[in-house]
Amino acid sequence: MSILISPPVPMAASVEPASPPQSRRFRQIVSYIFALWLISGVYIVQTDQQGLVTQWGRVVEPRVFPGIHYALPWPIDKVYKLKVRELRRRVVGGEIPDTVLGRPASSSEFFSGDQNLLNIRVVAQYSVSNPRDFLFAAQSPDQIVGLAVESELVRRVAHTRVDDILTTQKLAIQSDVLRSAQTVVDSYRTGALLASINIESVSPPPETAEAFRGVAGARSDAFRIVNEADGYANDLVPRARGQADQLLDQAHSYSSGKINRAQGDASHFNAVAAEYSKSPNVTSTRVYLEAMELVLPRLKKLIVDANSNLDLSMIGKQDNSAAPATGPGTEGAPQR
Amino acid sequence: MTRKTILLLSVFIGLVLASLSLYTVSETEFALITQFGRPVRTVAQAGLHAKWFFQSALRFDKRLRIYNPAPSEFLTRDKKNLVIENYVAWRIEDPSRFVQSVGDVPSAEMRLHDIIWSGLSAAFGNEDLDSLVSTDRQKLQSTAILDAITASSDRAALQQYGLSIDDVRIKRLNLPEQNKQNVFARMRAERGRIAMQYRAEGEEQALAIRAGADRQKEEILSTAYKESETIRGKGDAEATRIYGDAYSKSPQFYKLTRTLESYKKILDDKTTIILSSDSDLLKILTKGQGAAK
Repeated sequence: MSILISPPVPMAASVEPASPPQSRRFRQIVSYIFALWLISGVYIVQTDQQGLVTQWGRVVEPRVFPGIHYALPWPIDKVYKLKVRELRRRVVGGEIPDTVLGRPASSSEFFSGDQNLLNIRVVAQYSVSNPRDFLFAAQSPDQIVGLAVESELVRRVAHTRVDDILTTQKLAIQSDVLRSAQTVVDSYRTGALLASINIESVSPPPETAEAFRGVAGARSDAFRIVNEADGYANDLVPRARGQADQLLDQAHSYSSGKINRAQGDASHFNAVAAEYSKSPNVTSTRVYLEAMELVLPRLKKLIVDANSNLDLSMIGKQDNSAAPATGPGTEGAPQR
Repeated sequence: MTRKTILLLSVFIGLVLASLSLYTVSETEFALITQFGRPVRTVAQAGLHAKWFFQSALRFDKRLRIYNPAPSEFLTRDKKNLVIENYVAWRIEDPSRFVQSVGDVPSAEMRLHDIIWSGLSAAFGNEDLDSLVSTDRQKLQSTAILDAITASSDRAALQQYGLSIDDVRIKRLNLPEQNKQNVFARMRAERGRIAMQYRAEGEEQALAIRAGADRQKEEILSTAYKESETIRGKGDAEATRIYGDAYSKSPQFYKLTRTLESYKKILDDKTTIILSSDSDLLKILTKGQGAAK
């Protein structure tokens, strides 16, 4: 402004070649400032970032990739930089209470298809897929991602049985919610891409925890009982098979023993019988007498006359005497 | 006035006029151009725009917003209480209507609440609990209900307030505190029943396994008995045949030798035998050599 107040110079001297040193210095400063202003439009997009340039508020460069770039300086162009690949985290169910805003901890209770309550905590991770939408389409894309995941989780859990949620359906729920929540997020044009939905914890309410543990206990009891029965069967059946083998072996050995012995006896008999047939009388007498020699010495004997009467009373008295007596009787075997 | 002064002055005035008639609109907003308070036009396109210097530009955030009030209690057709937390995704769609009928965001949210929540309580009141929470997926109506409410309230909100309702969704389904205890009790009873069932099924299976094993054992042993007796019988039969074959060649001699064998066994030291002096054995003893004939 000093130039305005400065005293007017003669018209002839006002043209350039004759400008006073003060004015020239001013122009120099202005041109330096202008050059600096122009240079201030140089910016760098880091490796993990993507840039976006607006001109007078309108997007002219929706995606600027890492490197050095130039945009017109303030206030014409404005450069936004976003870490697009960075995974952002959003917790659903059981968030930490926000003490700054005085918001209470959100409940983590969900209502299952068979009308049970469950505490579920899910962590969603997402990245920026479209910087333009992410920056300009919604007021709080982060909150929207959380809400989309939460509402889809509520819907999914509302038609699933509590046991399935606790056990087999966990993975299915995660992938279903990932898919459907992405559809919701896309419908809001928030420019976010869900990377993963992870059920961090799922548990019955503390009021029923004991009962749920009871079921787990019962299940392991049932396993144990069945295992014990299996053990019993595994012990019993092989043992029986062993016994059966033993029985068969015994039968075989009995049978072959019988046959061998019969064959032995038979060949013995045949040999002797062959000799017998040559002289039956002598042989039979010999055989008879040999047998008698073997049998009679052990016995108590009474020899009686063939024609006399036998007084049996003497048997009782003379126990061990072999009294020579006469009497009839071929043979008899009263005891004692 | 010198020429230079005039030049500078006109530049200055030009700058002032430009600052009054040029304005920028960012990607996140609408500009509503008003002329002495009367809305003239809406500019949705971001960038640098011009207007008359006597007009002014009002800016409105056109981004998607979330309205997420505290949960409210609903009564279903089958008289079940439910605490449902809903959220609404909405935007300012028609700034001119918005500024004339609503004005600011908090009152917009109040209007939204009025439109949507009355629709919600009517809709939920027309449905059984089953259509919100059910293991049978076919019964679930929540998506259809909410879509219908979104569509109808969107129409009303746009016409009356210049707002667009993009989505109404259920953020959380729960029960009123006073009903929870009942549910917990039911859950506990259910768990007890399931635990008992597990145990009983375990017992059942175990009994079946044990009985099966016992039966198998009995089968194995009886089959083995059958086979072993058959084998023994065959052995005995074979032995009998061999004896028969052999002895039938000389039955007389067999009778003699076998009888004598029996004597050896039957007669022991406790036996008293009475022999007649006439017997073949003693005949020679008593009658002399002639008896040998």
